Amino acid sequence: MDVTMIPEAIDADAPAPTPRKLVATDGRSDRIFHKGASFSGVLVMAIMVAVGMFLAIEAAQALRVTGLSFLTTSEWQPDRNKFGIAAVLLGTVLIALVAGVIALPIAIATALFITEVAPVWLKASLVALVDLMAAVPSVVYGLWGLFLLQGNIVGLSRWINGWFGWIPFFHVARADPNSPLSSASVYTASTFIAGVVVAMMVMPIQCVVMREVFSQVPGGEREGAFALGSTRWGMIRVVALPFGRGGIIGGTMLGLGRALGETIAVLLIISPRFDINFHILEAGSNSVSSLIALRYSESSGFGLSALMAAGLALFALTLVVNFTASWFVARSRSGASSEA
Amino acid sequence: MSQTLHPTRRRSLRLAALVITGVAVSGISLPSASADGYQRISGEGSSWAANAIDAMRVNVRQFGITVDYNPSGSSAGRKNYLNGTVDFAASDIPFQFNPQDGSAPENPAPGSYAYMPVTAGGTAFMYNLIINGKRVTNLRLSGENVSKIFTGVITQWNDPAIQADNPGLVMPARTVVPVVRSDGSGSTAQFTLWMIDRFPAIWNAYCKVSGRAPACGDTSFYPTVPGMISQSGDLGIAGYVSQGFAEGAIGYVNYSYALGSQFPVAKVLNAGGYYTEPTPQNVAVSLLQAQINTDSSNPQKYLTQNLTGVYTDTDPRSYQLSSYSYMILPTVVAGQFNLDKGKTLGAFSYYAMCQAQQDSASLGYSPMPLNLVQAGFEQIRKIPGVVVQDIDITTCKNPAFGPDGTNLLAQNAPQPLACDKQGIATQCPNGTAGLANVPTAVSGGGGATGGGATGGGAATGGGAATGGGATGGGATGGGATGGGAATGGGATGGGATGGGATGGTATTIAGGAATGGGAATGDTTGQICDADTGICGGGGASAGGATAGGASAGGGASVGAVLPTTLTQSSGWTASLTLVLLVIALVLALILAPAIAWRYFSNKSTA
Repeated sequence: MDVTMIPEAIDADAPAPTPRKLVATDGRSDRIFHKGASFSGVLVMAIMVAVGMFLAIEAAQALRVTGLSFLTTSEWQPDRNKFGIAAVLLGTVLIALVAGVIALPIAIATALFITEVAPVWLKASLVALVDLMAAVPSVVYGLWGLFLLQGNIVGLSRWINGWFGWIPFFHVARADPNSPLSSASVYTASTFIAGVVVAMMVMPIQCVVMREVFSQVPGGEREGAFALGSTRWGMIRVVALPFGRGGIIGGTMLGLGRALGETIAVLLIISPRFDINFHILEAGSNSVSSLIALRYSESSGFGLSALMAAGLALFALTLVVNFTASWFVARSRSGASSEA
Repeated sequence: MSQTLHPTRRRSLRLAALVITGVAVSGISLPSASADGYQRISGEGSSWAANAIDAMRVNVRQFGITVDYNPSGSSAGRKNYLNGTVDFAASDIPFQFNPQDGSAPENPAPGSYAYMPVTAGGTAFMYNLIINGKRVTNLRLSGENVSKIFTGVITQWNDPAIQADNPGLVMPARTVVPVVRSDGSGSTAQFTLWMIDRFPAIWNAYCKVSGRAPACGDTSFYPTVPGMISQSGDLGIAGYVSQGFAEGAIGYVNYSYALGSQFPVAKVLNAGGYYTEPTPQNVAVSLLQAQINTDSSNPQKYLTQNLTGVYTDTDPRSYQLSSYSYMILPTVVAGQFNLDKGKTLGAFSYYAMCQAQQDSASLGYSPMPLNLVQAGFEQIRKIPGVVVQDIDITTCKNPAFGPDGTNLLAQNAPQPLACDKQGIATQCPNGTAGLANVPTAVSGGGGATGGGATGGGAATGGGAATGGGATGGGATGGGATGGGAATGGGATGGGATGGGATGGTATTIAGGAATGGGAATGDTTGQICDADTGICGGGGASAGGATAGGASAGGGASVGAVLPTTLTQSSGWTASLTLVLLVIALVLALILAPAIAWRYFSNKSTA
């Protein structure tokens, strides 16, 4: 209503009209929920900050000694003040990248299959199976990788090395893929094998995120695509994939974050080495978390501080990866409601 | 539409899955720890001694004693004992007050602990080597070659130095893959200590190469160079070496792990000129030379070992890398360790020192001698809360206790076979450790010796006559009358006449580089040799025949009997098959159950 329509006489003496205050009287349950939710949110933030601070404080002793050379040294002999994370961090990233490269196509394909292709009666089973895969403890994956996968995958490593060995990535020192007497050991305990095992672990996580996003593809657009004569693949390509791009990137990064921190499976498979090594098929690798697991129980004082410093570096790296992931997800169309 | 139905159903399915797993897990019930007022205790440390300690802790369950043991390595055991997170530690080496590798010193509170030697054994070199499709089980290595292998000096199995140790084998041109410990380990410390004492030049050179210099003393952390594989724990090494892809690998583990993995270990040359295996008897012999510190006023050193005498022991039976492993017992109440736990630890320690020793030989460890058992009993008295037992030492049934206090096991240890002697032209075919029953065919060691005149057959007392391979000519294998076998000498490029053995089954083995024509020209009835497996069918009483290779192999009757059998193959219905089927059924059920449930419920809701 227009304000000028109000009769003059009534408000002659009265103060100028002010808009009524809108007070939403929350019920008790609303208040409790609001408080609880914000408390949880703040608590999560506080825990993150506390973890970071704890790591920083514990790491200070070691970092004070090495300074910036901590980032460039590849050896790990803290008791002799010769230690750094160059090799270890590189190994961590390489394992995560291998895992990502292997897991990503599988995760996308599985998610698309579940949401778009699978018959309705199969969906529940597939979802349960993927969830089950995520629930298998990592030590089980580690043992599987160590005793079953490793023996069977060296053939693939040898093949890749034989045909693509000219690519520096796939070079293997001391290997002769053409000699039947050459030892298969040079292909074992490698970044590649650890990466394959970690891929099995991150794939379900990525798949869950992507499935969630693909299931939110607006029905109208989907039906529209079909109505215009699109095939199912055409619909996926034109509607589902562009809509889910944020979720795909977010899920990938989330999986990458998990891969960076994977510990026991990696520890079981790799043969720790402390030099800069880009050759993913070659025996020997390393990762921050497996180094901590391996050395934690036998380090004291300064050695522990050095491990904390390595942990801090991993913490920072994981934060960066995860924040990048959420940034990508938030920017995308489907981002508002996805899990990442 | 289906999306709206899903969440609740999914949740209930998940719940069902959880319940099922919960039931499965709770089905494994934990034995109660407090049957006789014993409190659960925990220990951590040596993986070298873990098989012995594990057997003890399994056996004491019958008395209501529950012991948790984590074989995470001696370094971790000592560290966590110092941190007070475990009640006792097991370590192959004492506390490192003054470590020689630049690591931080360990400083336990004086008088807060006591060493108790708990088991003895040999650090063995378990290997995975195949020649001509057959697993080698009788490899011999001198101490120097062992050192060179683990310092990257020797990189090929056909290195002349290794070939010289093994005149009866044709070593393959395969890469040597040393497998070492990645975690802090007492066996690494013992191994490096031995290397430093015996071959300081080799070790110091390696120390520089691997970037450890100048701190080149004995270390619990093996320095690695590219080409080595490092694994965590004895189990990690044994697990790696025993895999199919690890051909050419050799790693150092306790003897018991080679037994458990059914793998052979290298016989190592001792100062007496014989290649020996760390059998419990040989270890007992060797450790007669170990100097045990008997100054009980100094708990830092009391009962610790000095093994330099063992390294240079000239007894032909001794094994150089024999050592004791210790339990570190708390002598004061501190942290989580209380009197109740002391009572449990005391009872466990008594069992470990007494009854448990009778089983150790079957596990691959050597039982403790009388003097150390008695000293151990004294150490147990220092545990706070212990219920002191007066044990009649004869009730322990320890096989090492002689009537007059001598070490019976060492006394009765058999002398090594003559073919294990250094410098002769052949070597014993007998297998070692986990494959003791699987001999490896050996040759007489080249043309120079020729014929059956190497004396190998006579020396072993067996019926093996070995034919030498004479290049270009036919060599006649000597026939051993009444003995097991006669082997025709392999001649390069030509057939050889096999010697006839009378009265025994003769088996000829094709070995070596297979350069020969391999036609059987003996007086046999069309004997055929398989080039791949190297097995020739044995003829009748007078079978002879030529071997396919230049370096031929001969063995006794036992060789012939065992060689055709490869590793035991499982046939028929086995437990693992049952398990596999069970898993397949479970996964199938997991796939089908939600589908069926979905069908069922959707039918119901529409109806």
